[in-house]
Amino acid sequence: MSLQTPPRPMDTALESASVRTPAPAKLPVPADPHRGRKAMLWGTATAVIVMLHLLAVAGTDFDPTLLVDGWQGMARFISDAFPPNLDWEEVIKPGLEATLVTLWIGLLGTTLSIPSALLLAVLASRTTSPHPVAYQVSRAILSFFRAVPDIVFALIFVTAVGLGPFAGVLALICHNTGVMGKLWAESMEETDQGPQEALSTAGASRLQQIAHGSLPLVIPQFVGLLLYRFDVNVRSSLVLGLVGAGGIGLLINQAIKSFQFDTMLTHIIIVLILIIVVDQASGFVRRKLAV
Amino acid sequence: MEQAALKVQSLAKSFNGRRVLDDVDFEVKRGELVAFLGANGSGKSTTLKCVAGLTEPDAGRIELDGAQLSQLGGRQLQLARSKAAMVFQKIHLVPRRTALDNVCAGALARVSSLASVSPLFFSRELREEAMGCLERVGMADRALDRVGRLSGGQQQRVAVARALCQRASVLLADEPVSALDPNAAEHVMELLAELAHNENLAVAAVLHQPDLALRHADRAIGLMHGRITFDGPVASLNQSVLDTLYSPERNAA
Repeated sequence: MSLQTPPRPMDTALESASVRTPAPAKLPVPADPHRGRKAMLWGTATAVIVMLHLLAVAGTDFDPTLLVDGWQGMARFISDAFPPNLDWEEVIKPGLEATLVTLWIGLLGTTLSIPSALLLAVLASRTTSPHPVAYQVSRAILSFFRAVPDIVFALIFVTAVGLGPFAGVLALICHNTGVMGKLWAESMEETDQGPQEALSTAGASRLQQIAHGSLPLVIPQFVGLLLYRFDVNVRSSLVLGLVGAGGIGLLINQAIKSFQFDTMLTHIIIVLILIIVVDQASGFVRRKLAV
Repeated sequence: MEQAALKVQSLAKSFNGRRVLDDVDFEVKRGELVAFLGANGSGKSTTLKCVAGLTEPDAGRIELDGAQLSQLGGRQLQLARSKAAMVFQKIHLVPRRTALDNVCAGALARVSSLASVSPLFFSRELREEAMGCLERVGMADRALDRVGRLSGGQQQRVAVARALCQRASVLLADEPVSALDPNAAEHVMELLAELAHNENLAVAAVLHQPDLALRHADRAIGLMHGRITFDGPVASLNQSVLDTLYSPERNAA
């Protein structure tokens, strides 16, 4: 018997229009009564956004021709930096040591901000806050710590404890309290209220409801956000080095000021490796937590 | 014993001007399982929530174990309320914690604040009592498993154990089996009936399936538009009563 079956007359019949599902009936689309207003709104929004960008171009002296004309300057700078200075005693060893300091600044700045961030997060989360006043006050405190950049905190602390990594740690604690407290408060507000409610019917106090109903639910999110902040804080501590808070940032700054661009490049490569390692490590742990 | 553990008189509640409860009176005695029946929005769940303190009623008296709730405040009210334990449709356990830790949390009202920061500080006594509660619901062998790893029916039984650990005399169950498969639902309902009959608890359960009420409950209370329209032994719960309860639109007309 042949495997190929010859075309049957039925197949052609199926193709004919009479057997096909008829197309649904058509109906005119009603006119949108707000069409004119919508168009005007979009037009105005576009005009405003374009205007803002034109102002920004003027305000920043944005001029690509300057970049084209001055490319040689950049080329000279980069060619000065190559090849990187790979002297172990002079460059790499101090670079690695300073990188470690940068890492320690980021670590302490993150860890030591946990208590303050946790306290403020509980007070600033609508679901756990004991009182509207406490809620507003803690929100305001968090906003303040978030709004002041860590560099400004560093400059303030330098006046108290002098130049060095300690000022950097203090600066990160302050700024990170603001950011992490906000992130934690938000993740707490998004979490399931059920267990907390159940414990309230069991006669548990507010603090007990938080300790046994809310917090255990958000621990994975909290740890994830903590690792993310550690990642960001290590990068911030680089910049803090530029204003004298120690670490590899300080070395980069010194190399630039003394025109040792090949040394600078080595330090930048070390920093690049550090950032990639921290990023990968925290990403790895966060993925493990997610499952 | 013929003692009403829960007595509710002229309970009323409105949400945004809409009457949800209107002059609701009922009693639940120790040793009986009372099923609350009615269509969606008839006020069954709101009634339980008023008793549990999750919703503040506009008017009415609630008496729990002889204590008038309206005459109490603050810590006294909290303690009086803890005489009623609640079991939820969505279970509301902490999935990341063990069954044992979740059950211990039911006793928080009588644990000092300092010792209740973390399950690590729960006393041995409390843990052993919680084990007893888990044993009572047939879950002692899973005590150290995380709740998230248990099935829905097992989780609901752990939630009942938490209610037992609260040492309540009244057990309020808000659609305790709506999220469970028929077999698990049957088990949980059997458990609730046992607790009423053997442990002398007063059990009030909001149910969505009348057949479960017929099989397990001693008495049924039917609500329609926030009013009680039926209150009697399940034996007298015939088809015409059910038809009336579950077709409010037709009857409202």
